[in-house]
Formats: sequence, C-alpha cells, structure tokens
Amino acid sequence: MTRDKTDKAILMAAFARIDVIAYAIAAGTVCALLLFGATAALLLKGPQYGMDIGRHLSLIGIYLPGYDVTWGGALLGAMYAWLLGALFGYVLALLWNLTHYLYITAIVVRAAWWRMMAE
Amino acid sequence: MQNNTGNNPEESGVNRNLLNAAIRLNTLLLAAMFACVGGLTMFVATFMSLYRGLPQPGQYLNLLGVFLPGYSVSHSGAWFGLLWGAVIGGLVAVIFYRIYARSIESQVREYVASDRDDRDLLGTTLRLDGNYLGLALGAIVAGGLVVTTNWLVFRGTAEHSMHAILLANFLPGYSVSPVGSLVGGLEMFVVVYLVCLLFSWIYNVVAGLRSR
Repeated sequence: MTRDKTDKAILMAAFARIDVIAYAIAAGTVCALLLFGATAALLLKGPQYGMDIGRHLSLIGIYLPGYDVTWGGALLGAMYAWLLGALFGYVLALLWNLTHYLYITAIVVRAAWWRMMAE
Repeated sequence: MQNNTGNNPEESGVNRNLLNAAIRLNTLLLAAMFACVGGLTMFVATFMSLYRGLPQPGQYLNLLGVFLPGYSVSHSGAWFGLLWGAVIGGLVAVIFYRIYARSIESQVREYVASDRDDRDLLGTTLRLDGNYLGLALGAIVAGGLVVTTNWLVFRGTAEHSMHAILLANFLPGYSVSPVGSLVGGLEMFVVVYLVCLLFSWIYNVVAGLRSR
C-alpha cells in the first residue's frame, strides 16, 4: 500500500465532518427511547420505598409542560425528548464541524502567511 | 462496522506520527468544546434555577455540591459550577476520545484494504463505530457511577442518599455501597454500550442514505 493512501485515510477518518441531520435524528431517537423507557420502567414497577410513583422523574415536568409519570406522559415526554435530543445533537455536531473548520482555516491562513513572508 | 484486523500498525504501514498528531488535535478540540459546553451548562442551569421563581430554588441542583466542592445554587456557586463543568467536561472529552480514537486505525485499515481511492478528502462524512463509542461512553458513565457512589460511602452519608438509592429502580442490584456500585456500574456500562450501538446504527444508516 502507498504511504499517500494511508495518510489520506488517516486524515479522512480523523477530520471527517459529522452529518448534522443524521446526528440530530439519532440523538433525538435515543433520548426519546430513554425517557420513555425510564417512565415505563417506573410505571411497571409501581411505587417503591413508600414513595409516590415517579416522584423524582416527574420533576422533569417543570421543564416539559404536561409530562408526568403516566403512560400518556411517557408518550408526551418521548416527543419532547426527541425534539430536545435532536436539538442538542444538532448543536453538538455543528460545534464539532465548526471547530474543525475554524482550526483548519487557521492552519491554511498561517501557512499562506509564512509562504508570503518567505517570498 | 469497522474490522480491526489486529495487525501491527508499523507492519500495516500506518503513519503513526500523523495518526497520533490527528488524535491529539481532535482530543484538544473536543476537550475545548466539552469544557465550554459543560461550564456554560452549569452556569446557565444555576441561574435558571435561581430565577425560575419557585419557592425553593435549587432544591435538587444544590445536591451537586456534595460532589463539587464550593458549588451551590447561588451567584458565587455559579462560578464554581462554571469551573467544575469546564474541568469535568474537558476530562470526559479526553478520556472519551482516547478510547474512541482506537477506531480510527481500524477505519484506516478498512479504507486501505477496500482499494478505493475515490473519496473527496474534504467531503468525507464521519462514520461512527458503535463498538468503540459504547466502550468509551460506557466506561465513562460506569466509572462516574462507581466514583460518585463510593464518594457518598466515604463521606458517611450513604444511608441518607435517597436520590442515589432510587437508581435501583433502573439498575437492579445497585445500592449505595462499594459492591452495589460495582453491580450498578456494570449494568450501566451494558445499558450505555447498547444505547451507543443503537445511536451509531441510526446515525450511520441516515448518513448513508443522505450521502447517496
């Protein structure tokens, strides 16, 4: 194998850009499943340690209006979680791409500057 | 997704200097990003809790002060939160990428073995390796659970840690004790690993469809 090809492969693997939309969809789906799963687990287990069912998890309702630890709340929470997870994933992926873009731009500008100074 | 052949990197012709430099750079960028996100999240969450207008501001967020010395839901505590969020965010990013970066080498081998040379360097879309993503995130989350649980035991407040005990609802066998933390940590690792496999699969499928 040629050294050029492996070097190119390293750069491609290390500096590949994240597909922002795909990342947002994946993050949203996982977040929705997690919140639905957590709510469902509490509902299936019933009250524990003498406390109301989902006393602490239902505090999420402060931030997500309408959410509570019921089957309806689980579905509503899943929808909220999908939106928030997708938004979070979108921002995270965008930041990752942006930091790389800025860094690579800085390298190119610096190289051009030094080349210009050398000439 | 990626096949790790287990070959010696030198024998496979991978430029170790370039690979290590790329990993160092990505680690640095990710650490800077996570430090900013972690610090700002703590800072904003603290002020949101202060000014949300509820009767007991920071009733639950204040509990973070058990793990983060100096932190409380107050103006000065928000600055401690900013500092702790940045430190922990940066540290998590470094540990995460150091583990995840092992997938880069197998991706390189796969690309070279595929005998393709048709991809645009700048237009390449990242493919996630669910296995390494799961290992990295699973290790961090499980390690975090073990450390925080044993910190509660060390402080002598294990029996009063009702919020931590509630984790047993999701992690059967978990308790605020050294053994319980190991059981919970193992279960947490498995859960996070599986979630990461799912996340990677969804991402790779959608990214693949969009790149066609």
